[in-house]
Amino acid sequence: MANAQASSSKCVLVSYSAAPSILSSAKWLQVQAALTALLPLRNIHWKSASRSSIRTIQELDVNLVPLDTPRDEHTQIPVTLLEKPLLNIYIVVCQNTDVEGYRTTVKKQIKDWHSVVTAQKNQEWLILHIIRPDSRAQTANFFQLKGSVFEKIRADFNAEKRERCVQVAWSPETDAPAVWAELINKIKDGVLSAFDSAVSQREEEVKRSESQRQMPGWNFCTFFILKESLASSFEGVNLFEDAYTQYDELETSFYHVLKEKNLSWFGTLINPMGGDDSAPLLSVTKKSYRDLILANTISIFDFRIYLLSRQCELLAQRGRINEISRKAAAFLAAFGRRLRDIEATLPQFFVESWIYSSALSVVGYCDNWASGFSIAGAKLNSFNAAKGELLELARTQLDVIGVTVGHLPIRPPFSSSCDPLNPPAQNNSTQTISNAEILKAIVDADAFYKLYVDATNRAIEMYTKAGRKKFALRLHGSLAALDLHRGHYKTALATYTSLPAHYAPHMWTSLESFMLSRALDTHDVYEQEKDTEWIHILLSFLKSYVDNQGSELLIYGEDKIEYVTRLVENLCQAASKLDADLAHPDHPAVSLQVSSNARIAETKDGCFLDVTVHNRLPCVLHADEISIVLAGRDSERCRFSAPLETLQCGKTELTLFCPAAAAATYILDSSELRVARLLFQWTHRKSPAKASSSLRKETHILVRVPKDLLALDVQLSQPNQVKLGEPPTILVAVTTGRNHILKASVKLTSSGVMFRPKDANLNKPSHSLEVIDNAIILEDVPEDTIVSFMVPHSDTSAFQAMKIVTEVEYTTKTEPTLSRTMRMTRVVLTALPISVNVEDFFRGSRLFSKFTISTTSHQHVRICAAHLMAQEGGLDGVKIEPCATKNRGVMTVTPAQPVNFLFYIDSAHGPVRESLNLLIRYRMLREEVESVIGEVVTNVLEGSSSPHHHRVTVVNKLVEALEHDAGWVDLYGITGELNVPSTPQDDVDEETCQLLDKAKTLLNAHKHPHPPKGSWREIKIPVDVPYMNVVAAACVRILATPFSDIASKEDALPLYAGQPISARLTINISFHWGSSAGDEKRRYILRYDVEEMVRDWLVSGPKRGDFTATNGATHTVPITLIALHHGELALPKVAVMALPMAGEMTMGSMAMPSIETYQIHGAEKVLVLPRGGRSTFVVGMGSNFG
Amino acid sequence: MAPNLRLNAVAFISPQNHPILIRTFAKQDEHSIKYHYIAHTSLDVIEERVSAAGKATECYLGLLYAMEDVAVYGYITPLKVKIVLALALSDSVVRDVEITMIFKALHMTYYSAISNPFLKLNPPTDAAHDHSPYLLVGSPKWKNFRMRVDEISRVVGNTPNAVSNP
Repeated sequence: MANAQASSSKCVLVSYSAAPSILSSAKWLQVQAALTALLPLRNIHWKSASRSSIRTIQELDVNLVPLDTPRDEHTQIPVTLLEKPLLNIYIVVCQNTDVEGYRTTVKKQIKDWHSVVTAQKNQEWLILHIIRPDSRAQTANFFQLKGSVFEKIRADFNAEKRERCVQVAWSPETDAPAVWAELINKIKDGVLSAFDSAVSQREEEVKRSESQRQMPGWNFCTFFILKESLASSFEGVNLFEDAYTQYDELETSFYHVLKEKNLSWFGTLINPMGGDDSAPLLSVTKKSYRDLILANTISIFDFRIYLLSRQCELLAQRGRINEISRKAAAFLAAFGRRLRDIEATLPQFFVESWIYSSALSVVGYCDNWASGFSIAGAKLNSFNAAKGELLELARTQLDVIGVTVGHLPIRPPFSSSCDPLNPPAQNNSTQTISNAEILKAIVDADAFYKLYVDATNRAIEMYTKAGRKKFALRLHGSLAALDLHRGHYKTALATYTSLPAHYAPHMWTSLESFMLSRALDTHDVYEQEKDTEWIHILLSFLKSYVDNQGSELLIYGEDKIEYVTRLVENLCQAASKLDADLAHPDHPAVSLQVSSNARIAETKDGCFLDVTVHNRLPCVLHADEISIVLAGRDSERCRFSAPLETLQCGKTELTLFCPAAAAATYILDSSELRVARLLFQWTHRKSPAKASSSLRKETHILVRVPKDLLALDVQLSQPNQVKLGEPPTILVAVTTGRNHILKASVKLTSSGVMFRPKDANLNKPSHSLEVIDNAIILEDVPEDTIVSFMVPHSDTSAFQAMKIVTEVEYTTKTEPTLSRTMRMTRVVLTALPISVNVEDFFRGSRLFSKFTISTTSHQHVRICAAHLMAQEGGLDGVKIEPCATKNRGVMTVTPAQPVNFLFYIDSAHGPVRESLNLLIRYRMLREEVESVIGEVVTNVLEGSSSPHHHRVTVVNKLVEALEHDAGWVDLYGITGELNVPSTPQDDVDEETCQLLDKAKTLLNAHKHPHPPKGSWREIKIPVDVPYMNVVAAACVRILATPFSDIASKEDALPLYAGQPISARLTINISFHWGSSAGDEKRRYILRYDVEEMVRDWLVSGPKRGDFTATNGATHTVPITLIALHHGELALPKVAVMALPMAGEMTMGSMAMPSIETYQIHGAEKVLVLPRGGRSTFVVGMGSNFG
Repeated sequence: MAPNLRLNAVAFISPQNHPILIRTFAKQDEHSIKYHYIAHTSLDVIEERVSAAGKATECYLGLLYAMEDVAVYGYITPLKVKIVLALALSDSVVRDVEITMIFKALHMTYYSAISNPFLKLNPPTDAAHDHSPYLLVGSPKWKNFRMRVDEISRVVGNTPNAVSNP
């Protein structure tokens, strides 16, 4: 059969011929064996003119046949180009020298053969001359005249350029493969050139045929056979690529023909025969396709299958298994559509059965083919994926069958593969399908399910192997649907609840919600209790419902809104049955919008906040309470809440109330909606990590809570009286405002600072104060009362300020059941606004202390007075007096200018051992001005309608104006007039404007009251009076003459520059301020040193010396001074220092007594006159000697 | 008369594999789940194709797979937005040129839709998801994108495919 031949001719024919004597000789068998051993041919490179690239044939089988093999010569059907030999070989065996023998017999034989062979089209010929190897050596004889047989042959037959004669020196004894090399090349050349010419000729024919396509009478089948012969020729020489191309081209032209509807030469679309539906798709031999084609009776169905299977076969040869499965799948799907058009004429389920069986058989074929190749990596994945697709295709057919037969419901996912537009027509065919499995499944539901599950699982397995997770997921979904249908609720539920998690991460809400709704339905059908798990499923479902606003929700059947409404009702019921609160974060069904300003409640403490609640569900939600939490700068929290009954869909305006909210700006922290025991929670505050990862700007929602002047308030401040050295305290003032407080507890906490509320004491003992658990409790405090008390705390000198969290919990008389809690954070400065430095000057028994008060901040401080006082009851013999004679009034300390206060201390009995106290009364300029303003505004507002409202505005306006411009400060410091700068006042009403003007006029006329009014802060600083072991008073006196003891008077003696001047240095010693005052035996060794003033004075005499000092003693030294120039000169200074006390050791080192020296003459100057005019020198002439 | 191409569904999927828009043109509502499935499963195949192609990826990924009665084609924009096309399966040759043309039209539609500066205005502030503005383009709020996609589907369905008749 032609078909069989086409597929069997896998090798090239090469004919051989020789003289009959040779063929019959025994030696011929050896030659034949040697020739056969050369085959197959390897590495043939085919370069064709019509092809761009060189084709390489790795291996080519060659069949050596005798030339005269009988062949069925006369078929008109072009089968393959290889059915005739491509090369004819004539073998000559004779001695090379046997020219005579050649001429007589051999030449004629060759000639006969040659004429036969060259008459054949597209065949090549070759003459092989075999000689004995030893004779070959002789032919090399250069001087041989006669010429060899080989040369004769060449001369006689090889007329063309192409060398077609080969001589091989061979004998069975010396079988060396090398000798055949030339022959092999020749065979290759010959075969190729014959093949080439044959192919070009055939191609020419094909082309001609194709060009006649539009002509009447053209037959596709003929064309097909012609073209296919090319393909099988290529296949025969192992050029699968080219063979495949032929089929591809055939397929393309088939489609062209199909489009032109020129199908007359085909039989029907399909001619179903028994077993067609279950036959292996890719088998080329299951029908005699070629015969059918030749007979023009092939059906399109068979033709397409034949084409496909040939293509796949060729692909398989090349190891492209992936393409096979893909191609087959595409074919099955596409041709299946075609078949459905004529479904009515086919046996029932023919198409399904055909696709099912074919798909499975393709998988089998592929596995079979693939076993010959090693497939790995991405290839393996796609191989598996393609197999999975095929298996799924088979599974889909089961869907169709199942739905039609009634094993499966007509609902997705089962019904999605049947085309509802074309309901399965009544089929008129009497035949039945042949697939036993399907036949059984149609009758037996369980068999069907088993088949279905098996097919699905196989597909899932393949997809999983291929890494196609999403495909596998879908199939799992369909399995769950099957479980649901079969009543396996538990498995179905388990699958449905696990699937949404796979869809959720990529926001495939549509699929997610579908799965969830299925899970809910299953839950319903299953009649399970509506427990927490159910609520979670439902909430996830509602979430996806809300997320895509229901528009793309994939629920089928009932009305969506009704469906959701029912679910929500069930949810509320289920929520009320819960045992514990169930919190669900960030559900999108409800969202909140908070207005940015809270409103004061006016009649009671607390404030209202308007909130817009958006219920995105399409139905009413029964809720119990809605609340939001605002977070302040520190840990303050305000909870606003409002009771609810139902939440209509869409937007609802609600007003939430917070009973106690400190005035501040808050951010919206979280919100909560309570539905029975179910809590929807939303966190509005973004975590910083998330905020940074997101590119968009995070927007916090800010809410401002205004100050309620009449609400309960707690103020913390530094106390007005500060005593350094005593445990610090803080002043807590509780203002009740409009509330009659039944009970209030105040709790102070601060990091790093310990409060001791147990030691708290009230400033005025008007109310009771109790301390329980570190909380200070006040009871029964009427309206408009300020209760202030001091709370001592631990040392805070390390901090500039302390941050105190105040927590107040209180109940009022009007609302005794409502307990309000407020948390406030206050910062209280611990540093004092002023600092004090002291400088001491010892003058004999008197000590002058200079206190320098400077401000520690940029603020101006007003100092009312400073007093230096002894401890209570005074000190015996100590008298402290300020040096200033009269009251200096109020002074201002500015950062640039400190203020000094000077005091002197007279002590009768040596040093002052007790510490003294410096008391400073001061206040900040700001406080003073504010109190002045407050006073003035109170005056102005007398008789005004709403004092409270205006007061705040006016005061704020004035303070603001003063803050803008500091020009008023100097004038105020001197006179007390407050010149308020003018500021734009567009945002105040007329009444306030008038009040402002009035207040400004009054402030302008303000004078510093005398004595100063208002409250002053007091600070008491303990001051230690220093010790001084030795106080030395040095004095240089000019003497009238070197020998007199009398100090010169100013006018007594003129001093001249250059003239020696006698002077006396006296040092007075006092031990009055030393620790050993009164000890008369006390001795110190001191050293004095007259300062060198090399520009003014020459000092001669004992200018430096040591002496022993006793209390009250005076050390006197005469010195001589010479003024170096004239003018008013200050006398040299004298430094006195103490020497280490011999024998007295303190702490292992020499004790150095402390000493202070002052110059009595420090302010004195002497007038030195210039040496002018004539000088008279009296020179003794020796007359006195006489 | 050559059969027209019939678009059954178009899906736009973000680079993060979030669905942007899944538009089905089939009549029956209950079949839309199928196209959601198709869009979702196509991601697997697209991923395979892209990783197989390595760096030199063409936008057009060709036929991804054929399932039941649809042929699924894929396209990936240079910014990795995936477009999936579900064509009604027919037994005629579908030329890549035509499909590429449809894909280019869809790509342009998406491109012009996301050029809308108002998309980035008032992005939803709910904390649950980090919405990229490009996902919003498919939300029902913005009708233009849908309209244009529908328009393309209509045009494709009505034009006798001239390309396929040389």
